[in-house]
Amino acid sequence: MKIRELTLENFRNYEDQTVEFQDGVNVFIGDNAQGKTNALEAIHMLAVGKSHRTARDPDCIRAGQLRAVVSGAVTVRNSQASLRVELTQGGKRAFVNGLSQAKLSDYVGRFQVVLFAPEDLQLIKGGPAQRRRFIDMELGQTHPSYLYHLGKYQRTLAQRNRLLKQPRVDWDSVAVFDAQLALHGAQVVCRRAQFVRQMRGYAREVYRQISDGRETLDVTYQLSLRTPDTEPASLDLSRVDDVRAWLEEALDHRKDADAAAGHTTVGPHRDDLAFTLADQPVHVFASQGQQRSIALSLRLAEIDFIHAETGDYPVLLLDDVLSELDDHRQRNLVMSMKEKLQTIITTTSLAPFHGMLHREMRLFHVHSGIITG
Amino acid sequence: MWGYPEPITRLIEQFMKLPGIGPKTAARLAFHVLSMPEPDVMQFAQALADVVHRLTECAICCNITEQSPCSICRDAARDDRVLCVVQDPKDVMAMERTHEFNGRYHVLHGAISPMEGIGPNDIRIRELVQRVGTTDIAEVILATNPNVEGEATAMYISRLLKPFPVTVTRIAHGLPVGADLEYADEVTLAKALEGRRQL
Ligand SMILES: Nc1ncnc2c1ncn2[C@@H]1O[C@H](COP(=O)(O)OP(=O)(O)O)[C@@H](O)[C@H]1O
Ligand SMILES: [Mg+2]
Ligand SMILES: [Zn+2]
Repeated sequence: MKIRELTLENFRNYEDQTVEFQDGVNVFIGDNAQGKTNALEAIHMLAVGKSHRTARDPDCIRAGQLRAVVSGAVTVRNSQASLRVELTQGGKRAFVNGLSQAKLSDYVGRFQVVLFAPEDLQLIKGGPAQRRRFIDMELGQTHPSYLYHLGKYQRTLAQRNRLLKQPRVDWDSVAVFDAQLALHGAQVVCRRAQFVRQMRGYAREVYRQISDGRETLDVTYQLSLRTPDTEPASLDLSRVDDVRAWLEEALDHRKDADAAAGHTTVGPHRDDLAFTLADQPVHVFASQGQQRSIALSLRLAEIDFIHAETGDYPVLLLDDVLSELDDHRQRNLVMSMKEKLQTIITTTSLAPFHGMLHREMRLFHVHSGIITG
Repeated sequence: MWGYPEPITRLIEQFMKLPGIGPKTAARLAFHVLSMPEPDVMQFAQALADVVHRLTECAICCNITEQSPCSICRDAARDDRVLCVVQDPKDVMAMERTHEFNGRYHVLHGAISPMEGIGPNDIRIRELVQRVGTTDIAEVILATNPNVEGEATAMYISRLLKPFPVTVTRIAHGLPVGADLEYADEVTLAKALEGRRQL
C-alpha cells in the first residue's frame, strides 16, 4: 500500500495543505510543535477513521473552524482509490472514491498503516489494558468479526457484573449469562492467542535484527488466572471448544470470589501479553533501551502480520522515534524497511539519517502548519 | 422553557417523556400540535387515552388486546400444540406477517437485563411456565431477540422447561446480527423459523 497524496483542510494547525509522497522514505523535519505529528495523525485518520491520540474527533478540527477534511490518494494492490474523512462537531463521514460509507466499519480495512510513536513504550511499561487494546485494535482492523464477539462479550460481562453486585446474588440468572460469556469469551481468547502466535515469530525476528541477535524476544498470550484450580495443565488455546469448556468451568469455580469482588474475576477482560527477553520477564529486567526496542519490534511485527493477512504491506509511520534508538539499530531498521514499504518519518534533526543517501529520501520541512517540499 | 404559557410547557414536558425526544424536538412537536385543526388534536388525545383504557393483557398469551382472550387465542383453527415465545407485542405482528406460523403465542413483555433492573420475575415467564404445565403443548419455540439479553432469556426459559415433556427450540439465527425481530423482513424471519434448532 502506498499513499500518493494527502490533503488537509482545517485539520489541527493546517489550513489547506497538500503533500505528494514518494515510494520509500519520506521525512518530515521541523522544530517541536510545528505540525509533524499532526500530519501523521491525519494519515492514521485516513486509514482507520480515528485519531491515534484522541478519542474526541473534534479535537482535530482547526481552532475556530466547523469542519476538518482529510483526503488522500492511495494505491492498494495496484489499484488506485481516493479516501476522504470529514469531521464536524456533530460526527464524521467517510468516503471511498466519492461514495459515502454507511458505517465506519465499511470504511476501515482498505488502506492500512502502522504507526510507531514514543507513547508506545507504554505497551511494555503500562498496564494489561493497554496491551489488550493493542491486540483489539489490530484484530479489529483485519478481522471485523472479532469485534462482534468482543462486543457481545463486553455486553454479557456488564450484565453479569451487575448481577454480582446485588446483595443476594441470583445464581440462576448468572448461569444463563455464563453460557454466553464462555461462548464469546472463547472466541476472543482463541483469536487473540492466534494473533499473538503469528506476531511472536515476526516480533522475534525484528528484535533480532535491531539488537544484532544478542537476545531472544518471546511474546505469549497470558490467561488471567494461571492457577492450577482454574487452568488445566494442557489447555490448547487453538481449540475453541476446549477454551469454552474451561471458561465455563473457571466461571463456576470462581463464583465465591466473583461474588465477594462484585465483578467477574476470570476471562479475556483480564488477560495480558507477556514479554520475555532471554527468558526473563521484560518489565522487571529489561533496560529502557531494550523496552523501547521491544515496543518497536511489536509495531514492526504488525507490518508482517498485515502483509500475511492482506497480501500487501501497510504504510509505516514513525513519529519522532529514531532519535531514541541508538544509531546502529536505527540504521539497520530504516535500511531494511525502505526496500519493501513506504515509510513516513518525523524528526527534529537529520542526525539519525547520517550515512543514508539523501537522494534516497524525500525531505519535507514543517513550520507552523505549512509543509514545503 | 420558561416564558411559554403554562399549557405549552406542560405539553413539552409530556413529549420529553418519550424515548429519543429532547427539549428541542419536544418544543417543535408541541408547537406543531398548536397549529393542528382541533378535531385532529382531539383524535390524537383520544387515541392516547384509548391505549390505556381500552387495552388489556390477554389472560392466556399476555399479548395486548381489546378483549381477553385475544383473537389469536380464540381462533379455533390454530395449532394448540406449538407455542411461539416472543419479547414484545410488536414481535407477534412481525411473525404474523410471515404467514408461516399457525401456532399460538406467548408475549414476555421484555427480556432479562440486570443493567436495566429487569429480572425473570419482571417479565411473563411465570405465566409461561404455568401455561406449559397446564396445557397440552408439544413444542415451545423461543423467538426472543438474537442479542445478549434475548439469548439469556431463552436459556433461562429452556432451563425452567426442562421438567416438562415439551421440545424446546430456538429460532435460527439467519437474522441480521443484533437485529430485533421487529425489524427483520418477512423472508428472513420465515427462514429463521424454519431453521430452528432444539435446545
Ligand atoms: N485543533 C487545533 N487547531 C489549531 N492548532 C492545533 C490544534 N491542535 C493542535 N494544534 C497545534 O499543533 C501544534 C502541535 O503540532 P504537532 O504535530 O503535535 O507538533 P510536532 O511538530 O512537535 O509533532 C501545536 O502548536 C498546537 O497548538
Ligand atoms: Mg510530535
Ligand atoms: Zn391471547
